[in-house]
Amino acid sequence: MIQKPSVPARILYYVILVVVAIIAFYPLWFAILASGREGSRLYALNLPGMFFPTEWTWENYRVMLFDKPFLRWLLNSLKVASITTIASLLICTSAAFAFSRFRFWGREFGLIFMLGIQAFPGLLSLVAIAQLLTAMGLYGSHVGLIMAYTTGTLVFSTWNLKGYFDTIPIDLEEAGMIDGASPVQSFLLIALPLAKPALAVTALLGFMAGWGDFVFASVLVPAPDEMKLAVPALYGLANQAAVPWGYFAAGAVIVVIPTLIVFLYLQQYLESGLTLGGVKG
Amino acid sequence: MVGWSGRRKALTILAFILPTILGILAFNVYPMILNSYISFTNKNKFHPNPDCENPLNDILVPTCWNVFEESAPVGLGEPFTFVEPILANYQRLIGDLFTRDALLALLTIIVCLVPLFIAARVDKRFDQQMERKVPSVVVWLLGIMAGAILAALLNIMASFEILMATGDFFVVVFRTILFVVLRVPFSFLLGLILAIILSNEHMKGRSFFRVVLFLPWAASTVAILMALVWQFFFREQGTINQILSVIGYDGKVWLQDPISAFGIVVLVDVWFSYPFFMMAIGGALTAIPNELYEAADVDGAGWWPQLKNITLPMIRPAILPAIVLTSITAFQMFGTVWALTQGGPIKGAGQPGSTEFVMVYAYKQIFQTQNHGLATAFAVIVFFMLFGATLYSLRMTRITKGAFE
Repeated sequence: MIQKPSVPARILYYVILVVVAIIAFYPLWFAILASGREGSRLYALNLPGMFFPTEWTWENYRVMLFDKPFLRWLLNSLKVASITTIASLLICTSAAFAFSRFRFWGREFGLIFMLGIQAFPGLLSLVAIAQLLTAMGLYGSHVGLIMAYTTGTLVFSTWNLKGYFDTIPIDLEEAGMIDGASPVQSFLLIALPLAKPALAVTALLGFMAGWGDFVFASVLVPAPDEMKLAVPALYGLANQAAVPWGYFAAGAVIVVIPTLIVFLYLQQYLESGLTLGGVKG
Repeated sequence: MVGWSGRRKALTILAFILPTILGILAFNVYPMILNSYISFTNKNKFHPNPDCENPLNDILVPTCWNVFEESAPVGLGEPFTFVEPILANYQRLIGDLFTRDALLALLTIIVCLVPLFIAARVDKRFDQQMERKVPSVVVWLLGIMAGAILAALLNIMASFEILMATGDFFVVVFRTILFVVLRVPFSFLLGLILAIILSNEHMKGRSFFRVVLFLPWAASTVAILMALVWQFFFREQGTINQILSVIGYDGKVWLQDPISAFGIVVLVDVWFSYPFFMMAIGGALTAIPNELYEAADVDGAGWWPQLKNITLPMIRPAILPAIVLTSITAFQMFGTVWALTQGGPIKGAGQPGSTEFVMVYAYKQIFQTQNHGLATAFAVIVFFMLFGATLYSLRMTRITKGAFE
C-alpha cells in the first residue's frame, strides 16, 4: 500500500505496534529483572519493581555459573545440538538433492510417505525409541539422544532442502555434466554452494530442535545430573519444592539470550530459506 | 539429466538417499509398528514386560532381541498379553462414540453447522456476480442466525453433554480442536495486521519494530522456559494481579480457573506463533505489484475492498500451507501447556483437566499412569486423524506438487 496513511491512521498503527512490542518484549524483560533480584524471590512486591530494575545483584549468575553444574549442562546442550545439526545436514542434503534432481522408482511414494509419517507425533513414538535405545545400550547417553534428534529432523530437513533445490535452475548442473562432472561432483561443487540460505535455515532449525527440546531430553537422559541438558535441567530446577527462582531466571536468561541473537542474526535467511516444503509464495 | 548407465545411476541414487531411509525406518516407522502392536495388548505398570517365548514379541520388542539381551532391564511383574477382545483398548477410548445416542448427538451438531456451509456457498456465488446485490455481512448473519435457531430447536447442549459423557477421548480431542480453532485465527490476524502496518514504507522505525516483534518466535525455540516465565504473570502476586489491584480490582489465581486457564494457554501460544505469520505474510506482501493498489485507488476502493479483493487473494497461495501446517502443529502442542498448567486445573479425579490437550493426555497416560496399551491405542487413533488432516491439506494446498514435477 503505497499512499501515505492519514494522520489518525498512522497514530492507530503506532499504538498497535507499540502495544504489541511491549507485550512481545515484557516476558524477556521480566526474566532479566528476576535474574537480578536479591534472595530467591521472583516478585518485587511493589509494582514499579515488576517493570524496572529497582535492585540488582550478580549473585544469581555467580551461583549458576560457578556453584552449580550449569556450565556443564550448557556444554552438553551445545554438544548434542551441534552434532545433531551436522549429522542431520550430512544425511539430508544428499537425499534432498536426489529427490529433487533424479527421477527414480518410488520417488513420489517416498516423498508423500515421509509427509504421512510426520503425522505420527514424535512424543508418542518416544516409548518405542526409548526401548530401542535401551536395547542398543544407548539409553541415558548423549549418543542415543543425538540419534533420536537427528532422525526426528530428517523429514522436515529433506522436504525443506528439496523445496529449495527445486527452485535452483538445473541448467548450471547440466552444463557441468556436459563438461564431464559426475552427479556427485555437480552436487558438491554446483548445487551445494547455491543452496546456502536453505542450508543455514535447516541447520538453524535442526540446532534449535536439540537446543530447546524438553520431552526427549528429559525422558532419554533422565540422570545423572552432570549428563543433563540445559533446558530440562532448568525445568527440573523450577519444579523443586522450594524453587530458587533467581537461579532459574539467571539460567533462563543465559539460555535464551544467545538463542535470540542467533535468530535475529539469521532472520534474513529465515525469510528466504524456508520453503515450507517446497511451496514458496 | 545427461545419460549415465542404469546400474551406476541406481547405485548413486541409493547412496544419496539410503541414510535418510534407514533413519526413518528405524526411528519413525518402527516405533509406529511397535506402537500399533502394543495397542492391542494390556501393557501397563502391572504387566510391563514382554513374554519373549511368544514369537511376535521376539521379533518386535527390542528387549527380547538376543543381541541386546544383556543390556535389557530385568523387570518384575506379569508379562503382557493380547487383550480380550482384541480391540478393547480402542473400545474403551471411542467405543461409546458409536452408540445410537452418541451418533445422533453428533449428527445434531453437524446439522446445526449446515447453515454456515450454505452461507459460505451462497456468499461465494454472490461474489462471482458483477454487481453484488446482497452484502456479505447479511449472508453470514442470516447463516449464523439460522444455525443458532437450529441449535436452540434441536437442543445442542444436550447433544454436547451426551458426547462429553462418552469418555476422555472426545473431551480431549474436542478441547484440542477448540484450542486450534481459537489459536490459529488469532495469530493469523495479529500477524496480518502487523505485516500490513510494517509493509507501509511511510512508517518510521520499521526495522526496529520488525526486530522486537520477531522476538517471541525466537524465544519459542525454548518455549518451555518462556512459558514458565509467562505463568508468573498470572499468579496470585503476579503482574496482572498487581496491576489490577492498582485500579481497585481483586485478582484471582488465573491458572486455577478452567476458563481463564484455557484462555491463557491460547494467549501465550498466540504470543509464540504470531511472528511466524507476520514474517510469512510480510514476504508474500512484497510480491504484490503496487499497480494493483494504484488502480484500486483510482477506482476509489477503500481499504476493506482492497484488503478483501487484492491483499488476501494475492497472499493466499503462500499463506494457506502455512495455516494448515501450523494447525497441525498446534494440534500437537505440548511444551507450552505443560509448563503453564500441566493440563490442569482438574475438576475431579480421573478426569482430564481443562487444558489437557491431546499430547498432554498421551504424555500423562504414558509416563504418569503408565497405561501403555491405552496410550498407544490413543496414539494410533490420533495418527489416523492427523494423517487424514495431512492428506486433505495436501490436496487443498497442493503442497506435494513438487513431488510430481
